[in-house]
Amino acid sequence: MTVTNAETWLYKINPSLKLFVLMVLCIVALFIDDLNYMINVTMGVLLIFLCFTGHSIKRIILLSIPFSFIFISTSLAMIFFGKGETLWFEWGLISITEESFMRGLLVGFRALLFAALGLTFSLTTRPVNLFYSLMQQVKLKPKYAYSFMAALRLIPIMMQEFQTIRNAMKVRGFERGTGVKSIYFKIKAYSIPLLSGSIRRAHRIAVAMEAKRFTDTRDRTYYYDFGFSKYDQGFILYFIILLLAGFFLSIQFPLVSI
Amino acid sequence: MKKGLKLSDVLVTIVIAVAFGIIYILWGSIYYFAKPLGLHVDQLIYGMWFIAGPVAFLILRKPGVALLAEIAAASGEFFLGSPWGLTVLLYGVVQGLFAELVFMVFRYKKFNMSVAVLAAIASCLGSVLMDFAYGEIGALSTWNLSLFMIARFIGSVFFAGLTAYYLVKVLETTGVTNLVRPVSSKDYAELDQK
Repeated sequence: MTVTNAETWLYKINPSLKLFVLMVLCIVALFIDDLNYMINVTMGVLLIFLCFTGHSIKRIILLSIPFSFIFISTSLAMIFFGKGETLWFEWGLISITEESFMRGLLVGFRALLFAALGLTFSLTTRPVNLFYSLMQQVKLKPKYAYSFMAALRLIPIMMQEFQTIRNAMKVRGFERGTGVKSIYFKIKAYSIPLLSGSIRRAHRIAVAMEAKRFTDTRDRTYYYDFGFSKYDQGFILYFIILLLAGFFLSIQFPLVSI
Repeated sequence: MKKGLKLSDVLVTIVIAVAFGIIYILWGSIYYFAKPLGLHVDQLIYGMWFIAGPVAFLILRKPGVALLAEIAAASGEFFLGSPWGLTVLLYGVVQGLFAELVFMVFRYKKFNMSVAVLAAIASCLGSVLMDFAYGEIGALSTWNLSLFMIARFIGSVFFAGLTAYYLVKVLETTGVTNLVRPVSSKDYAELDQK
């Protein structure tokens, strides 16, 4: 995807390190069960997502729409159907209790946190850079890294093939059918040629790569070189401060009392 | 025979997986439409997110393929900007691992429908375990939780088990699977002079 945007300091962080830090943060977030703490941490991550990805505010807002959807739907299920003692409201199957309400918000904020972390990463990292960095810093085997990069390159071709099949079906008048039988037919008519074509192409690419002496040795030369810089330290420091400050703030100035 | 996956196996697996990654992204929007219906209707279609592992394994029939495929499909989904963000990566690893374990138990020698269904159920189990940590579903009231589990279970068996199996079966008729599968003793027998 080619989108124009300013390159902020988030782009200069080593991609492997960025992925690792965000992964650790996600796993930490799985174990945060305190709502105040969770809100503080989420705010800190949203700040990075909103201000430092270098994308226009319009695009950021557009990307946030599915977010809010997930936030609402994840928390609502828990708020309506969760267990709890202190009853606030009951109507048919729905029973809202204080405990379920708080837990619903917690789950919603956790979903929000995960989404913000993920989008911050994918907005500020080019896949090619990530795989080069993974080969250099994490010692990922080149065959996996190059396969990924090749596969990502094949996505536009798959889209094009999809369009071709669709046009062909339109010309032959298969698009108009309705009902279960026609859906079944359509799924088959699209998926089988797309899959078999992709497999054949992937196999051909692999044969070509091996014919050109692609080897799986790690002491190869790289077109892009990645190392560590002061931005990496700043990035780690930001999250350490966020986790500590968020914890103290949640004790000193709780937003909601539980 | 050298052990491990060759470049060709890895590339084919990842390309299949990335193709499913695109479907996973599109599936997300269907999931939104089902979610407001309430009562966990959305869980019926959840099983689609487990399909990459079984399909890739049934096509290539090699160890490690199911795990790799599910991770690759999740990363593809992640790179294309899934609104669930890093969640999909964590879930992908766990789901792939559980499916892989089933194939491993059968020593990578069974490719029938029941093993595909078993792998689907295992992936379902993995995702439920993750949900206990991430979505705190243990705190749902009992009737709601059972509905949730049953819906997801049915969906997994249908999508990741049966659909995956039939998809590969139809794919076999195109002959493309012969390109990527390891040779079996039957293939050698056919070469023998009669």
